[in-house]
Amino acid sequence: MSRFAGRFAGAVRRPLAWADARLNALYRWELNPLYHSGVLAASLFAVVLITGIYLLVFYRIGSPYASVARITNDVFLGSFMRSLHRYASDAAVVAGLAHMFRMYAQRRSWGPRTLAWVSGLVLLGVLFVCGWTGYVMVWDVQGEVIAREGARWMDLLPLFSEPISRTFVGERPIPNAFFFINLFAHAALPLGLGVVLWIHVSRLARPVLVPPRLLLWGSVVLLSLASVVVPVTMAPAADVLRLPGRAPYDVFFAFFLPLTRPLPPLVVWLAGAAVTAAVVMVPAWSRAKVGQEPPPSVVDETLCTGCEQCYVDCPYEAIAMVSRSDPADPRSALVARVDADLCTSCGICAGSCAPMGVGPPGRTGRDQLSRVGGFVAAHPAEPREVVIVACDRGAGGVGALATFDGAAVYAVSCAGNLHSSVIEYFVRAGVGGVLVVACPPRDCWNREGAKWLEQRLFHDREAELKPRVDRRRVRLGYAAEGERAVVRAALAAFRAEVRRLEEAAAEQDIDIERECVEDYTAEQAGAR
Amino acid sequence: MSAWARRLGAVAFACAATAGLVGLSRVPWTAHPGEQGQLRLAWRFRSELVQACRRLTPEELAKLPVHMRRGEVCEGGLRPYRLEVWVDDRPVADDTIRAAGAHADRPLFVLREFDLAPGRHEARIRFTPLGPAEAETGTDERGREPRGAAPPLVFTAPLVLAPRQVALVTYDEERRALVRRRS
Repeated sequence: MSRFAGRFAGAVRRPLAWADARLNALYRWELNPLYHSGVLAASLFAVVLITGIYLLVFYRIGSPYASVARITNDVFLGSFMRSLHRYASDAAVVAGLAHMFRMYAQRRSWGPRTLAWVSGLVLLGVLFVCGWTGYVMVWDVQGEVIAREGARWMDLLPLFSEPISRTFVGERPIPNAFFFINLFAHAALPLGLGVVLWIHVSRLARPVLVPPRLLLWGSVVLLSLASVVVPVTMAPAADVLRLPGRAPYDVFFAFFLPLTRPLPPLVVWLAGAAVTAAVVMVPAWSRAKVGQEPPPSVVDETLCTGCEQCYVDCPYEAIAMVSRSDPADPRSALVARVDADLCTSCGICAGSCAPMGVGPPGRTGRDQLSRVGGFVAAHPAEPREVVIVACDRGAGGVGALATFDGAAVYAVSCAGNLHSSVIEYFVRAGVGGVLVVACPPRDCWNREGAKWLEQRLFHDREAELKPRVDRRRVRLGYAAEGERAVVRAALAAFRAEVRRLEEAAAEQDIDIERECVEDYTAEQAGAR
Repeated sequence: MSAWARRLGAVAFACAATAGLVGLSRVPWTAHPGEQGQLRLAWRFRSELVQACRRLTPEELAKLPVHMRRGEVCEGGLRPYRLEVWVDDRPVADDTIRAAGAHADRPLFVLREFDLAPGRHEARIRFTPLGPAEAETGTDERGREPRGAAPPLVFTAPLVLAPRQVALVTYDEERRALVRRRS
């Protein structure tokens, strides 16, 4: 990543971290709409599809404005459906843009994620085209202005035998064919969206397509309420022989009009092409510098037992089980193999591998154990003190610090990369407790790191934290990048608990001592 | 923050966000600021064909694939026109309108818009055929005379424009004249 691109991504991440922290405070991470922006966009689009099918039944291409007016005023549920159709489309645009912004700010837009980035842009583009054609369908002032503006741009291209703009000059009635083609585009494009959505998530192992129920229904109910309380009204009808006056415009779809209308079409095309190229090329200019890319995971066949846990846990389907290079090897018929082109170097496989035979170079379980050994040597364990193991991307930004509120910080690239043996090492080295701070599961930069870690620590998922480790000395917390206060509160609460544990242990020691002394005294007395 | 305060805040924020969404979906805007009217010239016009034809030499024919060997090749296209517009005796446009298409064989399309203050204006439009020389067409090797150019189309009329009204001047094929079309 160039210096400028790095700074820019860092700059846009700050407001995102701020917003995440505020919304986490209100909704908890489970329902933070920013964490679910992608699936919200998809779900809202489903609402748009359902309401759109209802509206389509009553729409007439021969009398577009009149039929929409009839839908709005006379058709049963017509006004409600039209309003919900509009508001859900607007919300889908907001959610889609928020999702895109998040992926860019978190630098999750290059390498193996390039396909998702580009297909996401296509999805967003199709959503915009659907919106524009939808407004043209109404054929009110806004629809006319959008149509004329689009025609002005298209006439620059040597594609059409006659300038399209002539359709809207009033020289002759607007042909029904125009509204038919417009309707066809409006209705047909969403069908293609399903295919693009499939491509968009095709490299994910367990794509999530539906937001939490409360968030989904909460959004639908709120938009429905808005549709009832503030229904969409009819703007003035389009009149090509009258210049458009003041009328309501939808900022989410017609945002470009004030920018482009004063400009010549060539300038609009050049500016549009520049913006599109810049956005499409994000994977190229936001990628790590050559030679500094995080290395993909590798498998040590001599350690791999063929258990398939890394294959199951990999969030990007980058691991396949293949036959051993030496078929005579008695350990297992299959071994894991990493597809370097699909691997994002998240390191989750390293956390899943009990024999520590897979992971990115320098971050395998064995590498982690040797690193934690050095860390413990540099930070002698104190029985009452807590060590923070923090994800270096979220976790309140604590991962970038050497100590936080007096507690030593051990940073990991992703909570999912953390091998449970590291926790055990800390506990057996004598620290009072290990506070693991991960990103909220829905905000894990590697999708499933926090989820798998929780299961490995407390639900015996391979590679599980061994039963011999006192779970009371291990705590898992979630904090987004902007939630340092959450880490501070979790640390204080855990310290208090560790203190109680230590005090209880000390009391137990005293009791044992007292019992020993009493037994000894009694024995001595008996001997006399 | 207590659980109830948090829930209340969550609902309030969701309502505010929805209100913002609804508000932004209907922002009043004037696509064409001011109260001006407009003189719009829009027509499609098929002018006469102006071509320069010549016979291909045997050498040129030999270079062509068999199915493309035509004895005569013609270059040129539809005759271009000059569009001149005056409003209140002030010239506002003087352009050459050329035929569309790679072979200049598509009709001539005129689309010009001039914003005018509401009120009475005198509009004069002249659509004049350009000769072969001005049109930069080749000469006819066979000495064929090009077809005679049509007489210029002229439109002169007073326009009374209401605020935001569009006065459309177009070409009437039946009358072969520029006319004002009323809605």
